[in-house]
Amino acid sequence: MSDRHEEPEAAIAGTSMGGAMDLGVDEAETLEKTPAGPDGAGPEDRPRSLWSDAWRDLRRNPVFIVSALVILFLVFISLWPSAITSGSPLKCDLSKAQEGSQPGHPFGFDGQGCDVYTRTVYGARTSVAVGVLATLGVAVLGSVLGALAGFFGGLSDSVLSRITDVFFAIPVVLGGLVLLSVITSNTVWPVIGFIVLLGWPQISRIARGAVITAKHNDYVQAARALGASNSRLLLRHIAPNAVAPVIVVATIALGTYIALEATLSYLGVGLKPPSVSWGIDISSASPYIRNAPHALLWPSGALAITVLAFIMLGDAVRDALDPKLR
Amino acid sequence: MLLEVRDLHVEFRTRDGVAKAVNGVSYGVDEGETLAVLGESGSGKSVTAQAIMGILDVPPGRITGGEVVFQGRDLLKLKEEERRRVRGAEMAMIFQDALSALNPVLTVGDQLAEMFTVHRGMSRKDARAKAVELMDRVRIPAARERVRQYPHQFSGGMRQRIMIAMAIALEPALIIADEPTTALDVTVQAQVMELLAELQREYRMGLILITHDLGVVADVADRIAVMYAGRIVESAPVHDIYKAPAHPYTRGLLDSIPRLDHKGRELYAIKGLPPNLTRIPPGCPFHPRCPLARDVCTTDDPPLYEVSGTRGSACHFWRECLDG
Amino acid sequence: MGRYVVRRLLQMIPVFIGATLLIFLMVNVMGDPIAGLCGERECDPATAARLEQEFGLDKPVWQQYLTYMGNLFTGDFGTAFNGQEVTELMATAFPVTIRLTLIAILFEIVIGVALGVVTGLRRGRPVDTGVLLLTLVVISVPTFVTGLLLQLLLGVKWGWIRPSVSSEAPFDELILPGLVLASVSLAYVTRLTRTSIAENRRSDYVRTAIAKGLPRRRVVVRHLLRNSLIPVVTFIGADIGFLMGGAIVTERIFNIHGVGYQLYQGILRQNTQTVVGFVTVLVLVFLVANLVVDLLYAVLDPRIRYV
Repeated sequence: MSDRHEEPEAAIAGTSMGGAMDLGVDEAETLEKTPAGPDGAGPEDRPRSLWSDAWRDLRRNPVFIVSALVILFLVFISLWPSAITSGSPLKCDLSKAQEGSQPGHPFGFDGQGCDVYTRTVYGARTSVAVGVLATLGVAVLGSVLGALAGFFGGLSDSVLSRITDVFFAIPVVLGGLVLLSVITSNTVWPVIGFIVLLGWPQISRIARGAVITAKHNDYVQAARALGASNSRLLLRHIAPNAVAPVIVVATIALGTYIALEATLSYLGVGLKPPSVSWGIDISSASPYIRNAPHALLWPSGALAITVLAFIMLGDAVRDALDPKLR
Repeated sequence: MLLEVRDLHVEFRTRDGVAKAVNGVSYGVDEGETLAVLGESGSGKSVTAQAIMGILDVPPGRITGGEVVFQGRDLLKLKEEERRRVRGAEMAMIFQDALSALNPVLTVGDQLAEMFTVHRGMSRKDARAKAVELMDRVRIPAARERVRQYPHQFSGGMRQRIMIAMAIALEPALIIADEPTTALDVTVQAQVMELLAELQREYRMGLILITHDLGVVADVADRIAVMYAGRIVESAPVHDIYKAPAHPYTRGLLDSIPRLDHKGRELYAIKGLPPNLTRIPPGCPFHPRCPLARDVCTTDDPPLYEVSGTRGSACHFWRECLDG
Repeated sequence: MGRYVVRRLLQMIPVFIGATLLIFLMVNVMGDPIAGLCGERECDPATAARLEQEFGLDKPVWQQYLTYMGNLFTGDFGTAFNGQEVTELMATAFPVTIRLTLIAILFEIVIGVALGVVTGLRRGRPVDTGVLLLTLVVISVPTFVTGLLLQLLLGVKWGWIRPSVSSEAPFDELILPGLVLASVSLAYVTRLTRTSIAENRRSDYVRTAIAKGLPRRRVVVRHLLRNSLIPVVTFIGADIGFLMGGAIVTERIFNIHGVGYQLYQGILRQNTQTVVGFVTVLVLVFLVANLVVDLLYAVLDPRIRYV
């Protein structure tokens, strides 16, 4: 996966096309077909909160249910991989290299004779860990910086905007290659650190925009006129309104970060053996692609399903939270 | 009759069920006549107009019954290509918000000239000359220069004049104006209405004026049709209605106009809200809000009773209402 | 307009300096710039010291950066790890990547826009749902997986194409790599076009166009498409910079000797001059592409005026 995954969000934020790229399959459709009464008057409904409304929508959305189940399963096997496999991902038998599926080894063996099934199961842990931790880091750093810049404006805002411009100008995969190629540590932390370093501007732009919008709302102006302090304004009145877009973008970004880790590992600068990662497995399987395609296909499939699940989840959440579709 | 709508039914499929937007509407317009269609939002007045023009969104909308007879032909039975030739050339529509109804990325000249190149097969040069002529006709100053400008470069009133110019371009027999002045400043409203009325007299066009503004109606309309919950509840010559309404809903509408001679008195408001079109109440749809409602109103849907030769009311107690 | 361009150009300066400085620091501080200069062997201390002095590496980093940028603007991009001038490398690498990017952009325009229009006009029908699911899958499968799989199927199994591209990298050999490079953007272009078309289809001015009695074709092409493609054009424009920077993975899979390949080699061998030189050009391309897109926006949408 390349940096282009993050691009549309940025492009959209830049051209004030927010929400235009809805990935929604059916939710947007049904909503759109509900005319607000033929002459513009909607049916009377009691007011509900954004969140309870969104939750009600999500529970009915099959896309959300399927992706949430996939994600729960992934989290489960990353915490307890031994629940569904008894082998060890590092126990390899060169004599079995490239062999196909056989009893007890449903996915066959890779080029080093390691059991592909076990490695695929254990690979989930890396992906989920990188995805979740990197997203947390990006969301916290990005929303704090973005919210402060948006709230206080002025010089701090211009400086932050220029800094985010700088980060957007550097292709992500390229930055990863440069920065991570010199690191020898074999943990997930450098990769997570790198993603946070290059990922926060995306969230900070979203948070900044949302805070600026919320700041100009009448009730915020009213609270200010009543003498509310800055911290109270920001935490009680503005933050709750800026949280929704950040959550949506962060969920979709989580999927892309998992793909980014795999890409960097594929290029040899993310995680390195003996770590277990789908990217490493795909990379090490690619020379044997002719004789043992299964060693490439299983981890690829697992990676694709994982990324798909997070992107679809983020998408379903976006549809549920986007007030413009209501 | 130039146009006669007979027993028209339109439905919309929504997430909450089927919304019955138009339920058996019948009305007619003659050459040179102005019919005002009055009603709140959701009364079905715009949907009826869209069905006449053939610009209903299908789906979710669907015409489930009725006829639209225009110059002797039932438009609903025409093929789409024949229908298209009628649109714009023989009947035209003026929309409420000219800013969004005009294409933002094409010059007004292009949008006007298009009428002539498409329907009349004119060359682009001749069509452009016609566009300038039209803009002069609706009294847009410096038409020759402004023909190259985009809609956002005009003021609200000027934009609505361009919409009018587009509508009269091919001298249609019928114009449907859907709240043509609602989006405008009060001072501009009168000018635009005057222009429209003047052009109508000149070309002897039929005009269906859709509005919720009773003030506009009194000056220009010949007849009034009042709509509620997708049906006509009262239909009458304009002066009759103002003298004595024959339906409690019409009375409510008239009473809710602020009047100088009633200064100091509390302004009347019809209690309650228009019904949800997916759940129209049984009997008379107006009964939950009606001051005259009795038991019969909750069970029997009133037909359009003939009050006089030119007048009808869909109220069981129209006599009582007429007497005030 | 003129003043806007000047202002934008001035705004680009700090971004340009920031991005190049960041890369310069990453390569210099994180890595060991000397390491690559003695070939595969470790440098002996005397040679290392001599080299450090020769390349000015004993000076503070900011001074090194200034010297480097100064040289850059006189056209001296330094030498690569194999003793070649970096400019020479660029002269062979950029045409290849530009060809690759061009093919990718063509795919985006032709396939992406066409699919977007078709699905946007048929929202909710089976075609629409099918294409939407497909785009989701394309977006979710990382480019390197897509690339490897297509290479396996078309190159190895069915033998339709050569699995790896020859060093001249002619257009016909770049078709599949171009498609792989375009794949994710293509899916986004499809979605963006679809949403835009579907949104504008219900707009008032399209209803006006229908009410004017225009034929359906004219309504779609002249009124609907013209408006709907504005965001798509700007997306594709901004994508040029990203595609060129993102070609590393694609070029590696198909063994294409373009910008990504040279960068990858430069990074592996920790050759500062190659890496910073190439990245500088890429950053410039990105910035210029974005400026052009913004200006294009004003041409396409008369409502936008720059002051």
